[in-house]
Amino acid sequence: MPLVQLVNINKTYQLGNQQIHAVHDFSLSIDRGDFIALAGPSGSGKTTILNLIGCLDKPSSGRIEINGVDVAQRSARQLSDFRLRELGFIFQSYNLIPVLTALENAEFTLMLQGVPKAERRSRVTDLFRQLGIAGLEERRPNDLSGGQQQRVAIARAMAANPQVILADEPTANLDSHTAIELLDLMRRLNAEQGITFIFSSHDQQVIFRARRVVRLKDGSLQSDSLESAE
Amino acid sequence: MTVKLFRLAWRNVWRNRRRSLITLAAMSLSVMLVQGSHNLSVGVYAQMIDNGVRAGSGHLSVYVGDYARSRDEKLTFHRADLQTRIAALPGVAQVAPRLYLPGMAQSSRESRGILLTGVDPEVERVVNPFLRKLGADEMLRSIDGRDAVIGEKLLRELQLKPGQKFVVTVQGRDGELASELLRVRGVVRTGMRDIDGSLVLVGRERAAKILGVPDAIHELAVILVQAQDDVTVYPQVVALLGPHPGLRVVPWETAMVNLANAIKFDYASQQVIFIIILLIVTIGMVNTVLMSVLERMREFGVMRALGATSRVLVTLVLTEALLLGVVAALFGTLLGSGLTWYLAEVGIDLRDYIAAEIEFGGVVFEPIIRADWDWVWMGKLALWVIPLSVFAALYPALKAVRIAPVEAMRQV
Repeated sequence: MPLVQLVNINKTYQLGNQQIHAVHDFSLSIDRGDFIALAGPSGSGKTTILNLIGCLDKPSSGRIEINGVDVAQRSARQLSDFRLRELGFIFQSYNLIPVLTALENAEFTLMLQGVPKAERRSRVTDLFRQLGIAGLEERRPNDLSGGQQQRVAIARAMAANPQVILADEPTANLDSHTAIELLDLMRRLNAEQGITFIFSSHDQQVIFRARRVVRLKDGSLQSDSLESAE
Repeated sequence: MTVKLFRLAWRNVWRNRRRSLITLAAMSLSVMLVQGSHNLSVGVYAQMIDNGVRAGSGHLSVYVGDYARSRDEKLTFHRADLQTRIAALPGVAQVAPRLYLPGMAQSSRESRGILLTGVDPEVERVVNPFLRKLGADEMLRSIDGRDAVIGEKLLRELQLKPGQKFVVTVQGRDGELASELLRVRGVVRTGMRDIDGSLVLVGRERAAKILGVPDAIHELAVILVQAQDDVTVYPQVVALLGPHPGLRVVPWETAMVNLANAIKFDYASQQVIFIIILLIVTIGMVNTVLMSVLERMREFGVMRALGATSRVLVTLVLTEALLLGVVAALFGTLLGSGLTWYLAEVGIDLRDYIAAEIEFGGVVFEPIIRADWDWVWMGKLALWVIPLSVFAALYPALKAVRIAPVEAMRQV
């Protein structure tokens, strides 16, 4: 059974008197352990699809199943809990909480889950080591570089052991060297720990590192191909 | 999670340090102002009540029937051993027996309506603040002598001088008019026109003799060591009155209704001002928390996306307001204590702004006003500021959770 399944998804927005078709009759199956890029120019529907998979938005029509759960049937509270336990998020502009230290940011989802402090600390410290940011635990986001902040964001996304990590343009604010480094890191975590990564990008250098590339155009699926960065 | 949220809320409060400090200053100064004003009023009222009860009916008064209301001069009684037994109660400073006889005073040139008041000179000298000012050669010498201490205005209107004689006429118990020749021994000035124009103090037994009922009195004025002792002394006096079915004890609020009402009215109007001040502060608080929430919409969106429930976000925003409220309550009470200390020790001298004596509710208002500590009320106000702050954050908190995560994250 696929981990994520989108069936005949449509998403329309009302903009004044106009109806915008952000996603049009879109279907996709993603297996556990996939490392998949949603590629396409701006406005192609990448972010909308990530938001739909991330249960941050609801489709106008169609069905979304994640780990066998039909998310459209869930209440807002149930979706919050689902996001907390099953999904991890990485954002383009990192979105760390500025008043919390790097360690506290990475612990945030664990704190929401009510995980005891000692367990939180050991899990996050271990992640910091894996992500190459050990020693930066007590720094505030403002004292970290873009690459470091995004690694903290990855630690936050991974801390709760989610089924899927969704990353919306995770390298868009990074220089190309750091972007590739980060992608390689995500790829390594995918290979070693089997975490499913779904990320969006329009940067060919980044897309090239995905195992599977789903290309979108004007809200529709253009191609779905296995690339070989290995 | 609670501890972590608390820490997050505390750091959020100090995120915009200047704004939080301005809000805290406004809240703390308001708490200080309200606590200081309240304590000043408590001090002024306490002083007025003290003056009032000493020159008037006492903290507690023993009367026959409804004398307090009717002032029917037939309602006299004999104190028997009551005066000594009440005076022996713990918390009682003095018990002053008094006889009040309305009548007429006549000099060789003028006549005026008066209230002939029979008192025990020794007790009254200790109790009555106006008599304390008199020298030994101006005070009544005996309980049944012909000495009289009269009001300054009355002295002027009767065109008398100290040492001169005048005649008082009252209605005796038998219905006949009874006159007595008295001599001006001393003159008092209370500042109250009615009293200064009608007061004639004589020895109690002399007054009773004029009435024709020896040893009769209308009132036993009970002066307490501390006004708040009335709660414990009152039931004990009631118990002592058991064998005297016609007698009843009334608190000063009943005996001096005008003063009690004046204080109530004055304090009620002050409370309106207090409420307005706190309302303004609450609006300021709403503004601060709302600004802080609107600035962080994107962050709230991210937190929602990561799985924070509405309850977590509402708790976070309300905790931020709670912390502001707690700091303002503590700091405000500290400032309020400083202000009260100054007002209690130094006071406010109003002599340059008002006449030497101003009458308020039937008693003289001292021109130097001083505060009294009311810790319980100060504590209550401080505790009220905290839920008020949380209440002010309700709307911003709802605003924080109403926005959808996707919408919030689009915000820059």
